[in-house]
Amino acid sequence: MKMGRFKLSHRTKRKINGFIFVLPFVIGFLIFFAMPLIQTIRYSFNNVSVGEKGGMELEFSGIQNYINLFTSEITTKSSTILRMLFDENASILTNTPIIVVFSLFMALLANRKFKGRTAVRVIFFLPIVLGIDVVVDMLTATTGSELAKSGGLFSQSWIQMMLLQYTSIPKSMVMSFTNFADNIFTVISQVGVQTLVYLAALQSISPSLYEVAKIEGATNYEIFWKVTIPLIMHITMFVIIYTIVDLFLNSSIAAEVYSFAFDKNKIGVGSALSIVYIFNVLLLLGIVLLIMRKLVKRDDK
Amino acid sequence: MTNKKATRRDAYMAKKKAFGFVSSVFLFLLVLGLCFVILNPILKLVPSVFSRIEDLGNPNIVWLPMNFSVVSFKAAARMIMPEGMLTMVKSVLYAAIVMFLQIFFSAMAGYSLARVDFKGRKIVFFMVILAFLVPRQSLLLAQYIYFNHFDAFGLLKLFVPSGEINLIDKPAALYILAIFGFGVKQSLFVLIFSQFFKNIPKELEEAALLDGCGFYKTYFKIMVPNAVPAISTVAVLSFVWNFGDTYYTRYFNPNGAYIGSIMAQKFIGANKNAIINAIQNWYSIPTASDLAFDAVKQAGALIYLIPLLIVYMFAQKWLVENLENSGLVG
Repeated sequence: MKMGRFKLSHRTKRKINGFIFVLPFVIGFLIFFAMPLIQTIRYSFNNVSVGEKGGMELEFSGIQNYINLFTSEITTKSSTILRMLFDENASILTNTPIIVVFSLFMALLANRKFKGRTAVRVIFFLPIVLGIDVVVDMLTATTGSELAKSGGLFSQSWIQMMLLQYTSIPKSMVMSFTNFADNIFTVISQVGVQTLVYLAALQSISPSLYEVAKIEGATNYEIFWKVTIPLIMHITMFVIIYTIVDLFLNSSIAAEVYSFAFDKNKIGVGSALSIVYIFNVLLLLGIVLLIMRKLVKRDDK
Repeated sequence: MTNKKATRRDAYMAKKKAFGFVSSVFLFLLVLGLCFVILNPILKLVPSVFSRIEDLGNPNIVWLPMNFSVVSFKAAARMIMPEGMLTMVKSVLYAAIVMFLQIFFSAMAGYSLARVDFKGRKIVFFMVILAFLVPRQSLLLAQYIYFNHFDAFGLLKLFVPSGEINLIDKPAALYILAIFGFGVKQSLFVLIFSQFFKNIPKELEEAALLDGCGFYKTYFKIMVPNAVPAISTVAVLSFVWNFGDTYYTRYFNPNGAYIGSIMAQKFIGANKNAIINAIQNWYSIPTASDLAFDAVKQAGALIYLIPLLIVYMFAQKWLVENLENSGLVG
């Protein structure tokens, strides 16, 4: 009887303490996420102007902000918001598979046993440091000097010439390949964390599984597709989500929100774009997750 | 007959050996190539950054500078560190403080999410994921306005007559964000910690309880020392991202001394002529051109990278080894 009461009080105590531990985050969520979200939604349906005392003056305007948003042109290029959203989504959808496959490739290489593996790993994870936006911005030269220009490794080189002249590969394909090779540093600068996650996943696969597969007579190729890939599928899911979120963070939509709100003084329209942006991210993630889940399930059968 | 078998086996072994040799050479080349591609942008800087400003644009210089000089570095240091070394110390200190706050508060939240079955745990977990998924820029406006009229739930009415203070351009705003879990990618850190604590055996906690440890003692004396792999992973990522962050510093503390944001503001195309003029005047090099701008900019990037590379070199031991229990996978 006494024991039971002690246990109960211990449990509730633990629950209370546990809640205290997450309390900062919950408060932060309310202040820095939920409230801003509600505010942003409110702003997006109102005509916002800064009052004389510095406060906000709201004037309900229905969906006028959204209409303005989709009819006005963006600052950097003379195209509409819809066009920009479409372009951003397209580039994110094409870049994500490249980044995911490439990071898996690098993790597989770093996971092999060879001499100097530690040194190679140190270099492979360097993109975590080098991939910071500021560094990437600063390292690429603005002036067109041949020496300092990064990239241009393959285009206009003899490799491209040879491929174009002596093989029957269509020109557009060669060009896209060489473009990809030229931009390899932009890809590499984004794969640091993903490689880290994949390497962790590869290391957590029990070696006995590989032993069993080998004894059963599986080739390396079969082992890779039948053992490694299924076991890192859930991590792949995470890597894909992380990559998409990361790419959205660096997309030009964000800069557009800022320019609407502060440069053009149209807080309402900027807020409307924010809401559209959030919906866009969640929608894209939802679609990708749905497709991925289907693929993974088929793998399980 | 045995002879025939032996030759067949020899042939098989030879084939296997040759295949192994070829594949290892191929692998070696592949790894070497990738390492080169990663290091290439840094290697390419050497000739432009270390040579004299007058020598820039000389087509004979490819890999090594002709006349070694550190003028670009001096110019870059003067531009991005207005207070000299103090700016660097301040930026590093800022990143370190935020890193500490982020680790402290995300580890607590992560532990609780993984181990304590309080009411609403699933809701809080969903909040973390939502905070991770929604891009931070979309809420910038409202957050900015909130800090502009910071009232701490009306508590400030007790201290300030107007009931609110302007926290924009004060570092406090950035620390408040980190404490309440909305610093740079902090929801990701919470997820990493919760994933890590999930994999620590329950028996540890039970033993601590039997020995009379309370909730806090168990956490700080047993769980935290066991969480070194996760803490070190998060520490490296957090330090690097906070030092490299120009987003929060630019919007919430635009006049603060953060090397990253100073650099991002200084070396933009619009400032090019001013910078070239400065170089011409400071070091009396009338021939300084667009190339000098690039060289100084890249020298600035190298200065900026120094603390990061030092931290990385110290931390790579943890990052590279025993990754499997760092909480990155669950």
